[in-house]
Amino acid sequence: MRLMGVGRRYGLGGPWVLRDVDLDVPAGALLRIEGANGSGKSTLLRLIAGIDVPSAGRVTDRPRTAYVPERFPPALPFTAVGYLTAMGRVHGLGRAAAARAAREWLERFGAGHHARTRLAELSKGTSQKVAVAQGLLAAPGLLVLDEAWTGLDPASRTVLDGAVADRVAAGGTVVFVDHDPRRLAAAADAVHRVEAGRLRQVETAAARSGPLVRIEAEGAAGAVLPQGLPGGPVAETAAAPGDGERPLLRLSVGAAHSDALLTALLTARPPWHIRTLTTEQGTTEHATTGKGLHR
Amino acid sequence: MTALLRYQAVLLLRSHRWLPPLLFHVAVVAVGVRPGEPVLDSFGWAAAGLLPVAAWLVRVCVTNEPPSARDCAAAVAGPWRVHLAGVLTGLLAAVLLGAATTAVVAAIGDPRSADHRVGVPLGTAALAGLVTSLVCALLGTAVGALCNRPLLRSTAWAVPGTLLVAFAALLTAGSPARAAVTGLVTGSHSGTAQVPWGALALAACCAAGATAVACAASGRRG
Repeated sequence: MRLMGVGRRYGLGGPWVLRDVDLDVPAGALLRIEGANGSGKSTLLRLIAGIDVPSAGRVTDRPRTAYVPERFPPALPFTAVGYLTAMGRVHGLGRAAAARAAREWLERFGAGHHARTRLAELSKGTSQKVAVAQGLLAAPGLLVLDEAWTGLDPASRTVLDGAVADRVAAGGTVVFVDHDPRRLAAAADAVHRVEAGRLRQVETAAARSGPLVRIEAEGAAGAVLPQGLPGGPVAETAAAPGDGERPLLRLSVGAAHSDALLTALLTARPPWHIRTLTTEQGTTEHATTGKGLHR
Repeated sequence: MTALLRYQAVLLLRSHRWLPPLLFHVAVVAVGVRPGEPVLDSFGWAAAGLLPVAAWLVRVCVTNEPPSARDCAAAVAGPWRVHLAGVLTGLLAAVLLGAATTAVVAAIGDPRSADHRVGVPLGTAALAGLVTSLVCALLGTAVGALCNRPLLRSTAWAVPGTLLVAFAALLTAGSPARAAVTGLVTGSHSGTAQVPWGALALAACCAAGATAVACAASGRRG
């Protein structure tokens, strides 16, 4: 799935909430979207999920999608299992399969005894379990989670983490927003940040997995590392510079991005001096265990 | 689409929000239709009353889901399909109501002309009545689709808008609903029942166009 030049504004001539968003959402990827409150994260998720149509640009090749909102206060005249079965049927499941999946997911979230409870009578947390079950029960190709963990008890959060990992392992794509920065941190393939109506990638799996290239670079006196370097390198200070001294940084980046990163450093103004260059094989935990989650 | 329609139909049934428009329609029919009155006049009155009721039912159906639940369904099926299912459910409810009313009127009305002198063939008259109620249901659906979410989102605009446009659709010259109802009433004077196929085609086009506009706007205006 791809977003090409996607923008969104509310109303004709209204201000752009999002602009020029280009995003590749490969199958089997886990993407995290972050950003401040009101930055447009939810707007982006709604565009990705296909709930809203972009005001500019287009979205192509969206697989069958499910969306889990942050709050799910359903004044719907259904029982929990009745609503989930209906949603399963909208997903294209047969009657029996939908009913079975509805029960299974309620059980997995420990809400099996609420299957026959009317939605209006459920507690906030149990309602959220129904919302999450709705997103998972038909194994969608794309799952969009807008702070879906909020309101769940710790056990259910763990179940949801596991379900997300299963979805990704089965070749599905998951895009999520969560206010906890540690949420699925080890498993996310990429992190994108919404800022001032634009989207930029802040971290890639390449920075954490596969062969890593370590670069020791020395900058001009008082120089700071340029923004938006290729591959989203992890930077640490090798030697803290004193006043007027040259900063020495140690950068780690996926081998695939090392050439681009070196070019960027050498052509920066003022240019950075490359001191050493070393290659290491799959050093991080993530690289050795694949896409599994670490809890 | 079938699953969405079923979901919307269950939602409408269990929400009991069909009750006020139903009672309104029953009241309108009770005021204008008496046993033993000329059947074509009664068909005309009942069908005319159905137009605002259809618009009301469509309003009920497109506003029945809380936004978060609508978002979940829209992600699965696409916002325009979710909206289409709502509009079609409203139309279907109005058509059922129209058919039931037509059956009742056919049973209690007098199958004769307005002066009770010329006999009217009941089968043709009932078909004319049914098609006229279908015309009114379709035009009411067009009104309901245009005057509610997503095109008019504020209740303060949508409710008076729906009401005014519904009555305008009933009274304006050139409206297929007015043409069909007038056809029944004038037919009652001469004792001839004309089935308003032309008006039906026009009303169907209006409903399809209005629904298409509303569905296209559903992902854009939230």
